Amino acid sequence: MAKLLSMQGICKSFFGVEVLHDVNFEVEKGEIMALCGENGAGKSTLMKVLAGVYLQDGGDIYLKGEQLAAHADPLERQHLGISMIYQELNLFGELSVAQNIFLCREPRRKGGLIDYNRMYDDSAVLLKKLGENIDPRRKLGELKIAQKQMVEIAKAISFNVELLIMDEPTSVLTGKETAILFDLIRNLSAQGIAVIYISHRLNEFTEVCQKVTVLRDGYYIDTKNVPDVTVQDIATLMVGRTITESRVADFSGDPDAVMLEVKNVTDDKLRDLSFNVRKGEILGFSGLVGAGRTELMEVVFGIRKPETGEVFIEGQPVTVKSAIDAIKCDLGFVTEDRKESGLVLCRDITENTNYIFWQKSKGLFKNKKTTAENTRRMIDRLNIRCQGPDQHVSNLSGGNQQKVALAKWLLADAKILILDEPTRGVDVGARQEIYHIIKELAAAGIAIVIVSSDLQEVLTICERVIVMHEGRITGSLISSEMTEEKIMYYATNV
Amino acid sequence: METVEQKPESRFVSIAKNIWQNYSVVVVFVIILVVCGIAAPRFLRPENLLNILRNTSIVGVIALGMTFVIIAGGIDLSSGPVLATAGAVLILLQRMVTAEGEPAMPLWIPILICCAIAVGFGFINGIITTKAKLPPFIVTLAVGIIARSITIYFCRGATIIGNRIPEFTRIGNGSLFMIPIPFLIAIALLIILHITLTRSKFGTYVYAVGGNEEAARYSGIKVDRVKILTYMLVGLCTGIAALIEMSRMAAVAAVTSGAMYEFEAITAVIVGGTSLSGGKGRLIGTVVGFIILGVVNNMMIMLNVSPYLSGAVKGAVILFAVLIQRRER
Repeated sequence: MAKLLSMQGICKSFFGVEVLHDVNFEVEKGEIMALCGENGAGKSTLMKVLAGVYLQDGGDIYLKGEQLAAHADPLERQHLGISMIYQELNLFGELSVAQNIFLCREPRRKGGLIDYNRMYDDSAVLLKKLGENIDPRRKLGELKIAQKQMVEIAKAISFNVELLIMDEPTSVLTGKETAILFDLIRNLSAQGIAVIYISHRLNEFTEVCQKVTVLRDGYYIDTKNVPDVTVQDIATLMVGRTITESRVADFSGDPDAVMLEVKNVTDDKLRDLSFNVRKGEILGFSGLVGAGRTELMEVVFGIRKPETGEVFIEGQPVTVKSAIDAIKCDLGFVTEDRKESGLVLCRDITENTNYIFWQKSKGLFKNKKTTAENTRRMIDRLNIRCQGPDQHVSNLSGGNQQKVALAKWLLADAKILILDEPTRGVDVGARQEIYHIIKELAAAGIAIVIVSSDLQEVLTICERVIVMHEGRITGSLISSEMTEEKIMYYATNV
Repeated sequence: METVEQKPESRFVSIAKNIWQNYSVVVVFVIILVVCGIAAPRFLRPENLLNILRNTSIVGVIALGMTFVIIAGGIDLSSGPVLATAGAVLILLQRMVTAEGEPAMPLWIPILICCAIAVGFGFINGIITTKAKLPPFIVTLAVGIIARSITIYFCRGATIIGNRIPEFTRIGNGSLFMIPIPFLIAIALLIILHITLTRSKFGTYVYAVGGNEEAARYSGIKVDRVKILTYMLVGLCTGIAALIEMSRMAAVAAVTSGAMYEFEAITAVIVGGTSLSGGKGRLIGTVVGFIILGVVNNMMIMLNVSPYLSGAVKGAVILFAVLIQRRER
């Protein structure tokens, strides 16, 4: 008998970068299949191809032996019985539960008006099937997150789903809610519905899944039966058999010259975090998406207010309540999303590099000569490829934009520099340049903190790495101890 | 990541492109002037042109300040009513006389108070939008309604006649070397504000806040202060506009003084190429913008178009000016 789902040789590229290479993936009827891999391994992309969000560049998808038409149409796939529940739930807070479930396919009366009574009744029946007692008339926005997830599942079931894809469903749930969800998943499986389950919590796989498929860097690696593998085996498959070791010498500067010390930072996402970074040291922060690394850096930079926590700079306690305070303390922060919070895209290179310099310098007016000199110096030093200092930042490539975002802090003479995903969306050549610059800065005595989801990057430049998992620090390694596997081990907290 | 391919192009094409991209409003302006000159030769007479400049300067002065607010990503719908409030206070103080019939106080005192009141309204707009984090559209609309109502109340809905002393009426009606004084005031203000916008740190921060508020905040720019200052600046401009307006008539009409000026000013800014989404724009565009509006008003009279139709023509001109400036993103 044909398998329920068979994806053969799926390829997909974005902007010339291939993120899925010839991936095969199969699921049987009623099977609970885990899909795992590191950040950027291609899990979500593969599932979005399956759900009809993206169209594959190559390869075929078969459902019950029949080839699916190659066009991206999520609604069509839903009618065929393939539904995906996204990490960020796709629901409308201002509409009722029933309206959300039947969006775009509302039952109609004769004459075209919506038959609300039928809609509410049908919704109640669907929710009861899932063991939920939610009033379908309630506004969705009033529900708890776990209940919203149930509404998403009810919506999927209403399409007579045969294959349900769940992208990190437990990342927002409490332990009790997770247990309920797992029961439900087993229940669906018993009814013959196959579930594909994506999660970063490896120990969940052994609890609820029957099989696990591993992807790495866009390649299909292996599929295992769950009773035959341990969590450690899965982690090893995720990072690959080859053990990549650190290529950086251990920190050789003064171990007592602590530049920045952070103590006991706690809030709803961060659990009692402490760390320090020394003069001239390159410290990495590794972990999976959502581990709280960016949030911790936002606390240090005064953008996010913690419940408790202290910051010391060169041994002196400081209060950093805003970016303005942070800049006064010679802190610099190159943010994760340069378009959102790093650059003013519609302005030119000169302005973007000088914003902080101007605030630190005296006088109401900009000194034309100094400004031009500053910009010229930064363009040369960071090798920013542009038509000239008055080119708009929006017209630069990702790597050059990142250099401009960095230049702003170099001009401000930051002594502690936090770089959040410094090479995201940066091509390989510019990436090496940025690494080189970072090492130069460290050699000049700047303390550097790098948040990175790219293990290779951490191994390439960090002298020490702190690994986080769900708001906690789970491990700390110096460069001679670092391997991808060890970092992954701490990051997944198995 | 998308990268923009830079294609080599000839020098001439790039210069022409540069002019078109940066000064398309000037091109529009020249087109309008030529069309007007052909349609009504009387239009090009010097006295007519000077008259246009005089009439358009009041809204023009407000539009200069409005440009700052809009570049910073805000908007001010209270300018017209605030002009009436500040103007009413000016007239009430200016008409007070001693027993001998002399003015009770030197003229500069009412002028200063008039400007201070307008700046005060700007401050209120700025404080509420930034600290209460409310949309400026709603805040300034509400403040405008309040200002208008207060004016009508204190003037009991009537028109109040001021003291027609020449030193007062000259501000709005006089000329210096043939050039109308209101226009000279506008030009002086333009020069000061242009330097502020292009050379001062504050000016750069105005662009940064409008271009990307989040990035500005991460760069340590005092975003709230910059925004409040832009509202105070448009307030100051409104105060100066109130002085010119009151001086022209030596009277204030509680209900109609300054009516719709805020929209005319915003229109001038938009026609001048400043983006309503913030971060982009220049004052010279605004100047051309308000002169275009003045020219259109003038042509209606020249061509004997029914005043009832003036709105239709103005609306069409706005759409035309904005359409021609629209570029592919």
